[in-house]
Amino acid sequence: MNDPAPGDAGTAATPPPGKTSILILDDEPIVCKRLKPFFQKAGYEVEAFTQPPQALARVGERSFDVVITDLKMQGLDGLAFLGKVKALRPQTDVIVVTGFATMETARESFRKGVYDFVAKPFKLTKILDAVRRIEKERGLVP
Amino acid sequence: MVLPACIRRLLGRDSAPPVPFSVLFKKFKSILERNNAILELIGDMGDKLGGDYIYDRQYILDSSERLGDQVFKLVSDLSLLCQRKNAALFAAFERIQRKIQEELAGRRTLSRTDHILPLAELTHDLADEGGNKMAGLGDVRNILGFAVPEGFVVTAGAYFEAMEQAGLRRQAAEATRAFCREGGAGLAETSQRLRRAILDMPLPRPLAKAVEQAARKLSGPGRALLAVRSSAWGEDGESSFAGMHESVLGVAPGDILAAYRRVLASLFDEQALGYRLHRDQCDEEPAMAVGVLRMVDAVVSGGLYTYAPLGGQDQAMVVSAAWGLGKPIVDGTAETDTFLLGRTPPHALLSSEIAYKTTRLVLDPAGGTRTEAVEQDRRDVPSLTGEQLADLARTAMNLERFFKRPLDVEWAIDAAGALVVLQARPLAIRPRACSLDLDAAAAAKDAPTLVSGKGVTAMGGVASGPVRVVAEGEDLADFPYGAILVARHSSPRFAKVMPRCRGIVTDVGSATGHMATIARELRVPTLVGVGVATRVLEPGRVVTLDADHGVIYDGAVATLCRDELVREDVFEESWEYRTLKRVLRHVSPLTLLDPKSEAFRPEACQTFHDIARYVHQRAVDKLLSLAETHHEITRGAARKLATALPLGLTVIDVDGGLAPGTGQEAREEDILCRPLRAILDGMGAAGMWETSPVPVDMGSFMSSVTRTFGADLAHPTRLGRNLAVVSKEYLNLHLRLGYHFTVADAYLGGSINDNAIYFRFMGGVTDLARRSRRAWLVAAVLEQFDFVVETKGDMVIGRVKKHPKRAMLDKLFMLGGLIGYTRQLDARLDSDEAGKRHLDAFLRRINAARETRQ
Repeated sequence: MNDPAPGDAGTAATPPPGKTSILILDDEPIVCKRLKPFFQKAGYEVEAFTQPPQALARVGERSFDVVITDLKMQGLDGLAFLGKVKALRPQTDVIVVTGFATMETARESFRKGVYDFVAKPFKLTKILDAVRRIEKERGLVP
Repeated sequence: MVLPACIRRLLGRDSAPPVPFSVLFKKFKSILERNNAILELIGDMGDKLGGDYIYDRQYILDSSERLGDQVFKLVSDLSLLCQRKNAALFAAFERIQRKIQEELAGRRTLSRTDHILPLAELTHDLADEGGNKMAGLGDVRNILGFAVPEGFVVTAGAYFEAMEQAGLRRQAAEATRAFCREGGAGLAETSQRLRRAILDMPLPRPLAKAVEQAARKLSGPGRALLAVRSSAWGEDGESSFAGMHESVLGVAPGDILAAYRRVLASLFDEQALGYRLHRDQCDEEPAMAVGVLRMVDAVVSGGLYTYAPLGGQDQAMVVSAAWGLGKPIVDGTAETDTFLLGRTPPHALLSSEIAYKTTRLVLDPAGGTRTEAVEQDRRDVPSLTGEQLADLARTAMNLERFFKRPLDVEWAIDAAGALVVLQARPLAIRPRACSLDLDAAAAAKDAPTLVSGKGVTAMGGVASGPVRVVAEGEDLADFPYGAILVARHSSPRFAKVMPRCRGIVTDVGSATGHMATIARELRVPTLVGVGVATRVLEPGRVVTLDADHGVIYDGAVATLCRDELVREDVFEESWEYRTLKRVLRHVSPLTLLDPKSEAFRPEACQTFHDIARYVHQRAVDKLLSLAETHHEITRGAARKLATALPLGLTVIDVDGGLAPGTGQEAREEDILCRPLRAILDGMGAAGMWETSPVPVDMGSFMSSVTRTFGADLAHPTRLGRNLAVVSKEYLNLHLRLGYHFTVADAYLGGSINDNAIYFRFMGGVTDLARRSRRAWLVAAVLEQFDFVVETKGDMVIGRVKKHPKRAMLDKLFMLGGLIGYTRQLDARLDSDEAGKRHLDAFLRRINAARETRQ
C-alpha cells in the first residue's frame, strides 16, 4: 500500500495537471484499501500510506491538494502530522477522519488549520463531498 | 443487587404495594428506550455490511462492546422491574457475549455443529463450516441458481473432532507453529509424519457412520460414483492453495472413509505447508472441510478462464473442452478444443481451434475412471456447439460478477445436455494492462456523463450494458441478458431478473429496502433514488453505471469495468467485513419468535436480538399484570379508553398524553398523544375497519375468536389485554386483535433525528401459506412507506426513522389502517393472487383516506 503503483506519478516531483491530488494516511490498511480505488475511480490522483513517516516524507517531496489523515495512529499522532503538513505545505487542505471524535480534538484540529473533520465510520459519499467542497472553494473544478 | 425497599415490598407480595406506579413505570420506560437503542445499534452494525461505509477494526470492537454493555443493562433492568434474579437470562447473555469475544479474537466459532451439511444449505455465511471452496459452490447453487453436482460437505468441525479424539489436533497445531518458527526447517519430515498419522487415525464412530450414510444416500440406487474434494480454510479464498490439496475422483460409497482421510491428510501436504509459511499464515490453525459430490457423467467437460492469459487478447475469455470427464483437461494431458469468446454480450466467438481427440476419460461402473477411445467420427468434431458456448459464457460472466474476480471455472455438460458448474476459483493471473491506476482515474475524468453525483448506493460496483427501462407492473419474463435495469421505483420483483441484469438504477427507492438487500446478496451494482434516471437514460443506449460514485457514463467505459475485477482486495473478503459478519451472527438474527411457545425462554436465546425481544415481552407482560391486578398502584395513570372501535384499550398516561381532567373513562377526544391519535384515525378511516367480513361488535367478535382459538388462548387474561403507554410525543402500543398481535412504538420528539417508529406484526392460527402471504402483504405495504423491513416466519418488523413529523404521522395513520384492514384478512388470503389483490386494494383505500385526511 505504501508503494505508489508503477505508472503512478511515483517519483515525479510535480503532479500531472488536471487532476486533484489526494494523500491518504490511515494506519488501518482497510481504510486505505477502500478509499484509494474509490477516489481513483472518481477521477482523482491518489497515494495512500499506512505509516506516518513515509507519508510525511512524501509530503516533503511533492505537494498534494488534499490530505486525508486519521487522528490516532501508532508512531505519530495525527495532530502532529497535521501540524507538519501545514508547516511544509500551507496551501494543502487537510481532512481529519477519526473514530475518537471529541470536542477537544475537534477544536485542536481546527486550531491547527484543519479543513474538515469526519467521524468514523463514515459514508463514502460524505468524504467525497468534503473533497468536492475543497475543490470548489479553490476553484479546482469549473 | 440492592433494590429500593419500596420495590422490594411491592414485588414481594401481591396486596397493596405501596410503591408509586411512576417508579415502576420509569424502569419500564427505560427498558423500552434501551431496547430501541439496542435495535438501532444492531441495525447500524448491519448497515456497515452494505459497502457504503468506511469503518475499521476499532469500530467493530467499539460497537460490540457498546452493544454488550447495553444488553447487560437491559437484563439488569428487567431484574429490577420483575424482582427476579433472572439467572438463566444472565447466563444466556454471557454465553453470547463469549462467542462474540471469540470471534473478535479471531477464534472462529462454528455456528453449526453438524458433521454433515448438505450443499443445498451452504453459502459463504457458512464458509467456516464448509471451507471456502464448498461454500463458494454453495453460493453458485443457492444464491446464483446454477446447476452444480449434488452433494454435501463434511465440516471443519468434524475435522477438529476427529483430530481431537486421535490426539492429533494439538500435535498438528504445534508442529505447524514450530515449523513456521524455524523458517521451514524439517518440512518434509513434518509433513510426512502428520500425513501418516491422519491416514491411520480412527474416526469417531458417529462421524464415520454419518459420512458413510450420507455417501450411500448421495450415491443412490444407481450406485453413482463420488468425487471427494478438499475445501480447506483459506483454499480458493484470500489465498489460493490451488491444487495443493487432494481431490479423489470416482469413489464408490464403500470407500468413502479412506478417501475422506486422504483428503484430510493432504492438509499437511509438503507444498501446502510451504505455501502457508510463504504466505505468513502460520497463526491460523489449519482446518479441512471435505466436499463429497456425485460425479457428473459428463459428455463434455473442460475449463474456462474469464480472462484469457494470452498476449494481445484483453477482452476475451478462453474455453478448453474435450469429450468425457474433465481431469485430463485440467491436468493438461488431453488433446482439447480451445475457444476464445468475447467478454461482453453477445460473447462472440473470436476463434476456435479444434483438436483431434482420440481418447476420453469416463466413469467405470465398477468404480474409478478409465480411458477409452473416442469414436472415429467424433474425433475432430467441435466438442461444444455455439449455443453451449454462449450459455457457458453467460454463466461464467455471472459468476465473475458475483465473486468480483477473474475466475477459473470447471464445468461439465451431462447426458441430458445441462451445464453443471463443478468449481469456480479465483484466477491466479491478473488481467494485463489493468494495474495502471491512473487509467481508471483518467477514464473517469474523460468519459461523458449522463448522471453525476446522484442517488444512494445500495450495492457498490461498476457495470456496463444497454439500458432497459422497466415500466410499473411490466412482465419481466423477456428481460434481456446483460442489460442495465432502469425503473421508476425499486421493487423486490426485480430479484428474479437480477441474475440476468448487470446493474440497477431507480428514480425512487431506499438503500435498505428488500430490493437493495437482494442486490447486495447477489452483488449487483445498484443505485437508487437517482430521480432522473428514467428520463435521462434512453432505452437501448449503452451506459456504464458506477454505483459507488453515483455516476452514469455514456457508453461502455471498459477501463472502469476492468478495474472492478483487479481490485487488490475484495471488500467482502476483508478481515473487517468477515469479522463484522461473524459477530453479527450472534447479534442480529431473531430466533425467538412466538411468545406463546414453550421455546420462549431465556435458555433459548441465541442472539442479543433474542434477549432484547425476550426482555421486551416480559416487561410488557409485567406492566400489564400490574395494571390488571394492582389498580390501586396505577391509580390516576391507567384508564379505559372508550373508542368507536372495539379495542378494549387501557391507556397509561405518563406525561401529557391525555387532556388534563380526563375522567376514569377516557374518550377519544381526550387523547393528546399524537401518535396514538394518528393510529386510531387510520383504523377508523373509511374502508379500513368496516371491510371486515364479520360483525364488528365486541360480542360476536369475541365469539368468532373463541371458535377459532383453542380454549387456552381464548382465556380472558390472554385476550383484550390491550395497552397503550402514552405521553404527548410517545406511544407504546400493544394490541391483540383477533389473531393478530401488534406492537407499535413511536416517538415524535423535538428534533427530526429523534423521530422513530417501530412496528411489529405477528399472527397466529392459520396455515403456513396464508401466514406467509400475510407477512408478504404487510412487508410490501411497509416498504411502500419507507420502512426498513425484516420478515421472520410470520413476524414482520418495520422500522423507520428521521422523517419529518408530518410524514411520521402519515405513516402512523397508515399503520392504523393496516391493523384494521388485516384484522380479518387471513381467511381470504387463499392464493398468491389474493395477496396481490389485497395489497392493491389496501393501497388504494389508504391513499384515498390519506388524501381525505389532508
